[in-house]
Amino acid sequence: MIEHYDPRRQANSVDFSKDYGTPSPYPGAATVNLEIDGVSISVPEGTSVLRAAALADINIPKLCATDSLEPFGSCRLCAVQVEGRRGFPASCTTPVVEGMKVTTQNERLAKLRRNVMELYISDHPLDCLTCPANGDCELQDMAGSVGLREVRYGFEGENHLQASKDESNPYFSFDSSKCILCSRCVRACDEVQGTFALTIDGRGFDSKVSAGQNDAFMDSDCVSCGACVQACPTATLMEKSVIDHGVPDRSVVTTCAYCGVGCSFEAQMKGDQLVRMVPYKGGDANHGHSCVKGRFAFGYATHPDRLTTPMIRDSIDQPWREVSWEEAITFAANRLKAIQAEHGRESIGGITSSRCTNEETYLVQKLIRAAFGNNNTDTCARVCHSPTGYGLKTTLGESAGTQTFDSVMKADAIIVIGANPTDAHPVFGSMMRKRLRQGAKLIVADPRRIDLLKTPHLGEAQHLPLRPGTNVALVNALGHVVVTEGLEDKAFVARRCDTDAYHRWREFIAEPRHSPEASEAITGVPAEAVRQAARTYATTGNGAIYYGLGVTEHSQGSTMVMGIANLALATGNIGREGVGVNPLRGQNNVQGSCDMGSFPHELPGYQHVADPIARGRFESVWGVELDDEPGLRIPNMFDAAIEGTFKALYVQGEDIAQSDPNTQHVEAALTSLDCLIVQDIFLNETAKFAHVLLPGSSFLEKNGTFTNAERRINRVRKVTPPVAGKEDWEVTQDLANALGYPMHYTHPSEIMDEIAQLTPSFAGVSYAKLEERGSLQWPCNAEYPLGMPTMHEVEFPIGLGRFAITEYVATEERANRRFPLLLTTGRILSQYNVGAQTRRTDNQRWHDEDVLELHPSDAELRGVRDGDWLGITSRSGQTVLRARLSERMQPGVVYTTFHHPGSGANVITTDNSDWATNCPEYKVTAVQVEKVSQPSAWQQRFSTFDLIQRDHLANAHQEAP
Amino acid sequence: MASHQETHLIHMTNQIAANLGGGRDEETAAAATCRHLETFWARSMKHRLIATLEHEDGELSPLARRAVTLLAERLAKRHAG
Repeated sequence: MIEHYDPRRQANSVDFSKDYGTPSPYPGAATVNLEIDGVSISVPEGTSVLRAAALADINIPKLCATDSLEPFGSCRLCAVQVEGRRGFPASCTTPVVEGMKVTTQNERLAKLRRNVMELYISDHPLDCLTCPANGDCELQDMAGSVGLREVRYGFEGENHLQASKDESNPYFSFDSSKCILCSRCVRACDEVQGTFALTIDGRGFDSKVSAGQNDAFMDSDCVSCGACVQACPTATLMEKSVIDHGVPDRSVVTTCAYCGVGCSFEAQMKGDQLVRMVPYKGGDANHGHSCVKGRFAFGYATHPDRLTTPMIRDSIDQPWREVSWEEAITFAANRLKAIQAEHGRESIGGITSSRCTNEETYLVQKLIRAAFGNNNTDTCARVCHSPTGYGLKTTLGESAGTQTFDSVMKADAIIVIGANPTDAHPVFGSMMRKRLRQGAKLIVADPRRIDLLKTPHLGEAQHLPLRPGTNVALVNALGHVVVTEGLEDKAFVARRCDTDAYHRWREFIAEPRHSPEASEAITGVPAEAVRQAARTYATTGNGAIYYGLGVTEHSQGSTMVMGIANLALATGNIGREGVGVNPLRGQNNVQGSCDMGSFPHELPGYQHVADPIARGRFESVWGVELDDEPGLRIPNMFDAAIEGTFKALYVQGEDIAQSDPNTQHVEAALTSLDCLIVQDIFLNETAKFAHVLLPGSSFLEKNGTFTNAERRINRVRKVTPPVAGKEDWEVTQDLANALGYPMHYTHPSEIMDEIAQLTPSFAGVSYAKLEERGSLQWPCNAEYPLGMPTMHEVEFPIGLGRFAITEYVATEERANRRFPLLLTTGRILSQYNVGAQTRRTDNQRWHDEDVLELHPSDAELRGVRDGDWLGITSRSGQTVLRARLSERMQPGVVYTTFHHPGSGANVITTDNSDWATNCPEYKVTAVQVEKVSQPSAWQQRFSTFDLIQRDHLANAHQEAP
Repeated sequence: MASHQETHLIHMTNQIAANLGGGRDEETAAAATCRHLETFWARSMKHRLIATLEHEDGELSPLARRAVTLLAERLAKRHAG
């Protein structure tokens, strides 16, 4: 007897390039034994006959079935015969039964399948040779597989061959004439993406796939995630890049460089040309799903704006001079040395990139600590999730989220605070939606009515529309209800938490001033709604909290993170699947950049610089003495620059001039520097203030690793050579060598080996193991050689969980008569962060300018109509944006994004920051808005400066030999 | 008159003290604030902050002032040791 299925081996033995026809049942199901074409096979209960056969490498023809979707049973091509049953059941919808005997191939089945195919082909264009799917078409494959030789019906009858094409989407076309109505696209939109944008319109012969109510794709609810294109078995839904360039001939699995979900993709290539990015089914974070950014918005990598030559200049009012790598590096090193000689060791610093790889980030902070000789290193996590690091380390003992993304599929009550997963973490958002459709309850705490609340779901959805800046008052009220209504998990607290800290917290939180009734006046959320939410979270099985920058980017960001951890500890919602505290990280490698020692007070692995044992290990491997005092954080660097004590900065892959708050303050700081070295793929806003411009490499042009929001280390693989000749880590290495600190890595894997040697949580990580396992979730060491998907199952890294006192301290940024509205900021689906990448793609079609969303009643009060130009003034500055009236806003609160530099969203955000980490308070700015007729003074200055700097760049090109 | 930088340092310290002050007795709160400054602030910022103890009055909140005094003592002890 041949044994084809071994559940212990399944994780490794599934071939992700193969389509098994139907999804695998949930793990843990009992085993069923059956016989297919005389081959004995054991599979988990719930497996379809189609999948069971495919696992035994018996490949039954199929069209409407694919293993990312539930079976549908419409094409009838996968018909089989089952001993003792009548007829020809579809194997996709027939579950396996103990002792079943299946026949997949005989004369009758062959004839049946040929007849089915004959009908399909009778209404299908016969243009295979010129069809974009030629060679990559399931219909073509099936026609071959069933041996179709003639179409007896002819092609003259009524047909759909003249159906029109919808070319409205910039990335894919919809050619209805090639549609076989298998519904895979419609089901992918529903089941995988959860948008429900597609439907089958009409009946019988008139049936057709339709976006919305016969809208063009671009005018419908479609979010261009690509799931339908992926699911389509024909050329009906087809990437335009494949139509233009042909079917790719090789593919490399790599990791997306957009958000913190860290999706795995197959970069499908023709030679050095990237033809398309296809989500990789074997990706542990995304399981074959994608969003419009990762799937389609990769054209920036070959955009003509890419910097390809190193450039230098003595001052920022001069044109750039194109030079060799060697000259640029020598120029930079000499300047840095001269500045340190004149202004002292601490007068220079650097910023690591949360978009670059772990290896590159590690190297930049090593350069700063070892070659600069100080700890003036920071990263853009400063402005997004630094409070997560502080808050979670204080309470749970580790600066990271506790779960896998998959954990959400076991959550029963989901709280989402200050996060907008359907826009900012779309692939995880889709998974969360799937769980909501299965019946999990949803609680959203957000000033805005986010799309997640609109998503179809089975369970209840509660919205706590709090006023910006009152998070801590709200989380304290939730904690108060848990404690005073007896909803605590006392056994968990007794077993897992520090008793003294718990009692202090309990006494604090039980005070009547924290009751929902008392805090209603602060938060604006009705007390009863808060009580209801606390009860739902504490009593509905597994309670999971997901949060984003709406938690961290506040003057009490760190306090709020601790408040969330308190809530999870008190209800015992930590240490198993389905629960936990889950920060949704913004950038692809923001978790990694924090892990890699980017913060000024911590060496890699969150080891404090003052810890002599940890520091000693680094000193012995790095061969230098390290400073035992923390260095400057980004905002401290700006202050010190303006004051004149900080003179040079090395910035790798971050655009502080656009992304950091109070733009005019940042610009003043950057202008004060004697030497600004910017390493980036484009002339970004920061680069316009630079003296040395080092061309960066995109994620497609280098090897390395990214670490996503679930601590998952994923490989980034080089698919095309760097446009300027060097991967980013090579440039940092050159700079270190020019400064007299030797570095001699020949491949990023050697950098990872050094990281593993020095960082206890990475001790077991190596490229070889990543190759073998696909990905690893840290901690990965001797105790957990394969990593740790769920944290804190047995104990916390600090032993016992520590409740923290979370006193609500109101932000100083308050609305008053002069600034009566509160501005909060966020993101939208099609653009990413400062937009440097997505603005250089067709994603512009969805969002080509930032707008100010305001409630119709605030608009009416000011005589504002949709589309009017609005001047937005805060205590920091003024900018002008177009108005968009939106019922999603609550009265008194306005909203914008910061994807476009000319919008100047950060001209109005203030210097206020989180008390513990200096993470800026982007989410609360008191403003006034009024109708205006011209751009703000800053915008006019920006526009002039921008033109001059572009000119300097253009002139550099002209001067080149 | 304090420089912009000093005003900012004092402001940040007051903010830390306000956040670590709630629900704790003064000595614990001052120690927590001091520990926070010691752990997270750069050398130059600590020195500038401590220097304000001598010529600035009234701008640091009483709790913050207590914390900065503690910090000054700890740093002095470290240098002496």
